Amino acid sequence: MTTGSLLPTLIIVLGAIGVYLLLPHRLGRAKPRSVHIAGAALTALGVLGFLFSIMEPPSTPTPDAHFYIAGAFFYVFSASALGSAVMTIVSRNPIHSALWFAGVILSSAGLFLLAGAQFLAAGTVIVYAGAIVVMFLFVIMLAQMEGRAMYDRASRSPGTAVFTCFLILWSLVYCLGSLATRPTSEPVEATHQPPLIAGQNFAEHYRLAEGSSTKAVVDRVYRPTSAAQTAEGLEKPDVAGLGEALYTDHLLTVELAGSLLFAALIAAIVIANPKRSLRTDEPELAESDA
Amino acid sequence: MTDLLTIDYLRDYLLVGAALFALGMLGFLSRRNLIVMFLSAEMMLQGTALSLVALSRYHGNWNGQIFTIVILTVAASEAAIALALIMVLYNRRSSLDITLWRELREEAAPDVVPAIEEAAAAELIDATAGPETYPKLTPAGLEPEHPIQPWTERRR
Repeated sequence: MTTGSLLPTLIIVLGAIGVYLLLPHRLGRAKPRSVHIAGAALTALGVLGFLFSIMEPPSTPTPDAHFYIAGAFFYVFSASALGSAVMTIVSRNPIHSALWFAGVILSSAGLFLLAGAQFLAAGTVIVYAGAIVVMFLFVIMLAQMEGRAMYDRASRSPGTAVFTCFLILWSLVYCLGSLATRPTSEPVEATHQPPLIAGQNFAEHYRLAEGSSTKAVVDRVYRPTSAAQTAEGLEKPDVAGLGEALYTDHLLTVELAGSLLFAALIAAIVIANPKRSLRTDEPELAESDA
Repeated sequence: MTDLLTIDYLRDYLLVGAALFALGMLGFLSRRNLIVMFLSAEMMLQGTALSLVALSRYHGNWNGQIFTIVILTVAASEAAIALALIMVLYNRRSSLDITLWRELREEAAPDVVPAIEEAAAAELIDATAGPETYPKLTPAGLEPEHPIQPWTERRR
C-alpha cells in the first residue's frame, strides 16, 4: 500500500468511529451527550474528508464559470446526501429517519440533475419523496402511536455491522481509485486521436480497431437509438431521447416493469387484507359463506 | 462542446454512490426497527441508481437511465409489499422489532444471538435517567380480562 491510499483509509476509519459512536447502544443504554458530540464531530470530519480529499476535483484544460458552478453544486448535493444518510441510520425516532431519507432523495435528485437526467430527477422526487416516504410515514404513525420504542434505542451488534460496511466502503474506494483512465489496447489504425476523456471517446477509439472483440461489443451496445447524441453530434433532448431508447431498444423492459407493478399490486392487496379465520364454527363466517 | 463528465467526475459520482450504498447497508444490518431497515434498503438502491446515472452520462447513452427507471419500479413494488408485510407482522406482535421474528431461521442454525439478546433484555431497565429513558410505572389494581381472542394475536 502506498502513501496515496493511506489518507482515504484514515478518513474512512474516522467516519466509521464517528458513526459507531452515534449509533444506538447495543443494549439500549443511554449514551452521554459528550459521546454524541464526539461522534458527530468525527462523522462530520469523515464526510468532509471524503468529499474533499478522496474525490479529486476533475481537471479540464480550460475551466470556466460553468465548470466551477457545477462543481460547487456537486459538493453541496453530495455533502447533504451523505449527511442525511448518516442521520437516517442514527436517528432514534423512525419519523426523523423517514424525513432524513427524504433529504437523501432530494439531494440525489439534485445529483441526477447535474448528471443531465432531468426526467429521472423529477421521477425520483415524485415517486420516492412524494409516494414512498409518505407511505412510510403513514405506517410509522399507524404502528407507533405511543412514541419512541425500546428497540429504536438499541441496535443489533453495531460494532460488527460498522466494521463490515466500512470495510466494503474502503474496498470500493480502493477499487475506484485505480479506474483506468487510458484505453487498454491500441487500435490497429489510429488515424486521429480524439481527446480521451469520456466513455464515448473510448468507444470511438475501440471502433477504429477492425475485427477485435471489443469492437463487436461496442458496436452492439452503441446503437443509434440509445445514444445520447444524434449522428450529427447534437445533444438529444432529455425526455425525447430517453423515450426513444425506452420504446425501441427496451420495449420488453417496459412490459416487464408493468407486469411487475401489477404483480406487486395484487401481492400487497392479498398480504395486507385482514384474513378471516378458516374456522367453520364461526357464525358470521358460515353466514357469509351461505 | 466537450462533455463535462470526464472520468474524474465519474469517479466522484461512483464514490458518492458507494458511500450511500455502504451507509444503507449499515442501517439495514444494525437497526432493529423494520421500517428503518426498509428505508436503509431503499438507500442502497439510491446509491446504485446514482452510479448508473453517472455511467449513463459518461458513456453518452441512455441505457443507464433506463436501468434506473427499472430500479424505481422495483423500489415502488418493494415498498408496497414491504409495507403490507410490516402491517401484518405488526398486527401479529404489536411491535416493529425485528428480533421478535428470530425463530424464522433454520432449526439447526447455531443460536448465537440470544446470549446478547438475553443480556439486553436483562439490562434494558435503565437505572440512570438519561435523555433517552422514560419513567416506568408500577402496575396497580386488577388486570382486566383480555377482550381479544388469543388466536388472533391482535391487540386492537
